Order: sequence, then structure tokens, then C-alpha cells
Amino acid sequence: MPAPAASPRLEPFRLRGANFNLLVLRLLDPRIEVIVPAIADQFRRAPGFLRFAPLVIGLDDLQAAPQDIDFAGLAAELRRIEITPIGTVGGTPELRAAAQGAGLPPLRAAGGKDEEVPMAPPPAATAPAGPPPAPPLPPGTARPTMVIDHPVRAGQRIWAQGADLIINSTVNPGAEVIADGNLHVYGNLRGRAIAGGADNTEARVFALNFDPELVSIAGYYAVREGLTDAPIGKTVQVRLIGENMRFDRLG
Amino acid sequence: MAQVIVVTSGKGGVGKTTSSAAFATGLAQAGKKTVVIDFDVGLRNLDLIMGVERRVVFDIVNVITGEAKLNQALIRDKRVDTLSILPASQTRDKDALTKEGVANIIEELSKDFDYILCDSPAGIEKGALLALYFADQAIVVTNPEVSSVRDSDRILGVLQSKSKRAEEKRDPVKEHLIVTRYAPNRVEKGEMLKLEDIREILAIPLLGVIPESESVLKASNTGNPVILDDGSTAGQAYKDAVARFLGEDRPHRFIDPEKRGFLSRLFGGRAA
Ligand SMILES: Nc1ncnc2c1ncn2[C@@H]1O[C@H](COP(=O)(O)OP(=O)(O)OP(=O)(O)O)[C@@H](O)[C@H]1O
Ligand SMILES: [Mg+2]
Repeated sequence: MPAPAASPRLEPFRLRGANFNLLVLRLLDPRIEVIVPAIADQFRRAPGFLRFAPLVIGLDDLQAAPQDIDFAGLAAELRRIEITPIGTVGGTPELRAAAQGAGLPPLRAAGGKDEEVPMAPPPAATAPAGPPPAPPLPPGTARPTMVIDHPVRAGQRIWAQGADLIINSTVNPGAEVIADGNLHVYGNLRGRAIAGGADNTEARVFALNFDPELVSIAGYYAVREGLTDAPIGKTVQVRLIGENMRFDRLG
Repeated sequence: MAQVIVVTSGKGGVGKTTSSAAFATGLAQAGKKTVVIDFDVGLRNLDLIMGVERRVVFDIVNVITGEAKLNQALIRDKRVDTLSILPASQTRDKDALTKEGVANIIEELSKDFDYILCDSPAGIEKGALLALYFADQAIVVTNPEVSSVRDSDRILGVLQSKSKRAEEKRDPVKEHLIVTRYAPNRVEKGEMLKLEDIREILAIPLLGVIPESESVLKASNTGNPVILDDGSTAGQAYKDAVARFLGEDRPHRFIDPEKRGFLSRLFGGRAA
């Protein structure tokens, strides 16, 4: 038996802990044929924002026996509708084991006191989770544009599919505007603003009066509570620099 | 052809029925043939506020199911003879109202009336959708608080997408804003939303601001729409709003905190 090779010049990897913000999909029904169409329906309405988003499957609300749930089938179906399940949280040990057998390992909620903690929680390194960045559109690619000339009101959702979106009015609290490309709001932006829906990390958000409930680019997002350093109430451009959202005043 | 006006809000208890009763009475006083329909099936109270609850024989559901003719269900107001009321049913649920049934009623009423007011139930569910479906104009009633403004914003979105006019891609429903229960003193203290803030969010023309007033409760308890009470600030504000609706230009009143004069300080008087 040869001895293990001597250490190379550079260490090949480093193991670090980090905290992530992840969406949890809490299952309320064990039947895939019920879950998947319902999710597909929901996600069709908010497509870009959640596409390929990593997602944790919550097992706490499930009343089923492990053999009644086809975790492998569920994972495959979710990937088919462009959702990426990465593990589970909660549930009975039997359920967790069944999921793990299907490639969905149990995750530990940060701050939670789940058993089987593999390592001490690292110092908070909060990085907003998001899908892997996609290559930018080739330069010069003309993109269609959708123009909306009326206020977007609470409860309304406008999605410019494969297009830029220009709102020539206000986006009120409780409204949602989604562009697969860039998003321009020539009025008060008070609702949810989602740009680069289709993983376009080059997309930007422009707002005459920036006061959103949530802003997201290519799956990276910030809620209003986290926008304490952004120039609220000003004319602002938002873009991604690496994994960080940057807010610059315009004009 | 009659104009169909829905009085709607999204949120409950903001003053839709109070406003419907006042507006219908005001339009009728101005000589317009007016009918006001209670769409709040199961929770009818327009008839109470109009003071006709003891004259209800048939209601809108009876007309839809064919148990009564429309003119058997219509109640003529005894104070203003150009005004009629079509009550809601107390005992049925909202499913008893159908789109076809309401369409037939509105078509028949259109022959005889200038204005058909629809007092919407709260919410954005079936009953509210039906009340606004046939509207040519909408009076959106809002209180100076965040949740009420949010719900009114929602209902404006619904008007743009779910009304018959929207479905047929005709001219949009004409929108009017009424802010009710406005208390300038509390606005000044920051306890209520400012009128400008409400107008900025909703961005539709302001028809009137109705002050918070004790006379409203008194009016509904006696079954006399508050617009008939000349001494009431709310009644006067509704009169102004109706006049504006009919094209008159009147300045808005009751939107600034009252300067407490010598007499009111002496007697600790309150707005009537
Ligand atoms: N300007 C006002 N000043 C004081 N009280 C008012 C005023 N307007 C309405 N109210 C009171 O508010 C309450 C609700 O009014 P109203 O029944 O007209 O609301 P609504 O929107 O029709 O309610 P619902 O959603 O239940 O149908 C009543 O008690 C009424 O007396
Ligand atoms: Mg009512």
C-alpha cells in the first residue's frame, strides 16, 4: 500500500461554515401528484424570482410514514419544474433518513437546536442565497420591452417575460413587478421589484423614488428591513456586484 | 341609459353603506331618478340606514329566483320620491346572486332610472366582484389608515381587470375617491394618514372628504341618511360630494383641524 501522497503546495480546499437564507417548502401533503402541480401553479405566477432557487423541504407538518413518500420522485419532479431541492429540515428521524436515502440530507436551521450538529455554528457570514449566476446576455442583444403607463396596485403582478419592464407610474405597496431583464420605475417604487428574473445577473433596477418592500436581481434579494443603508426615497440604481447588491444614487 | 355606480372599498366597516345611502339620497334630491341596491346578501343593512326595514317584502334574491317581480321588491322612499331601494336578502347567502340574474335586474332598472347605485359588501370575493362587475363608475370609500388604503388600492386593481368594462375592453370604469371618518385633529397628531398621502397612493380624483362625526351614528339609528341632516358636518360634506359628482366645483371643507373658537371652548362643544 503506497503511503498517501505528500501535501501539495497549495491546500486543495478549505472547509468553512456559512449561514444561508433559504426558502423552506413545508410539505402539507405526502402525495407527489398533489404537491408538484400545486407548486408548479404557484411558481408559474412568480417565475423568474424562484427559478432554480435552492429550496429546503420542511417535513414538520407531514403526518405520513416514510414508505409513503417517494422522496426521489419528488426531487426529480421539482427539478423538472426548475426548483432545486437541496435537503430537508425537521420531521421525524425516519422521514429524514428516507429523504437522505434519496439524496436530500437533513439541514440544521441556524439558531435552531436540532440534534446531530456536526460543527459549531460559524460566526454569522450572511450571504443572501441565490441560484448560480448565469452568463450575461451577449452584448448587443436586443431585448423587447414592456411599458406600463398606469399605477401598479396592491395585489397586481406584472411580469415582463423575457423582456425589460418600464413602469411609467407608481408601484404601490403590495404590488409586484417582475422583469426578466431590467426594471425601470419612473415613479414611486413601493412594492416588490424583481429584475433579472431568468438568472440574468447583469440586470438592474432603476427607480425614480426608491422605497421598495423587496428588491431582487437574479434571485439575490433584499427585503425592506435589510435596506437600512440604501438611499431610500432617492433616485436609485440597483445592480449586483458579485453576490452583493449595490445601491447607487442617480442624477 | 342609466349610469351604474358601485360603492366599494375592499375593507369592511369603512362607510360604504353610509356613503351609498347619502349619495343615493343626494342624487335623488337633485332630481335624478335613483335606485340603490344592497349587494350585501346575508348582512343587509342598507334598508336599516335608509329607514325602510319595516317595508321589506321581497328582496333581490326573490327577484333573481323569479319569486317576485322587480317592482314588487323595489321600495319607494317616502322622503324623496325619485329614490328607490332594492334590499338584499337576510336569509340567503351570496351564492344566491348570479351574474345573469343581476344583469337582468340592472338592464330592467336602466330603463327607468338615471343612476343605479350598488352598495358592495366588503372583501374582494364573489359578492364584491358581482357588485362592481356592471359598474360604469366607482366610488371607492377609504378611511385614513394604512390597511384601508391598501385594500382600496387592491379594489382599484380589480376594477381595472375584472369589471365588465375591462373584460369588454371598453373605456375603463370612472373612479372617484371618498375619504370617510377623517379626523383632522388626529391626522395632525400623526394618528391617521394625511389626505395627501392617501391621494398620492390611490391617485384617483377626490370626490369628497367626510369628517368623523357623531351625527352619522345618530342618523343610522334613526334610519335617516346623514345627508338629510343639515346641521351635520358629515351631511354637508356628502352634499358637497354629490354636487361635485354632478359637475359643480366646490372647495373641500373639514380637512383642516378646527380652530377652537371662544364659544366651543366655553361649552366644550364638539363637531355635530
Ligand atoms: N363619517 C363618519 N363618522 C362617524 N362614524 C361613521 C362615519 N361613517 C361611517 N361611520 C360608522 O362606521 C360604521 C360602518 O359604517 P358602514 O356600515 O357604512 O360601513 P360599510 O363599509 O358599509 O361596512 P360593511 O363593510 O360591513 O358593509 C358604522 O357604525 C357607521 O355609523
Ligand atoms: Mg355595508
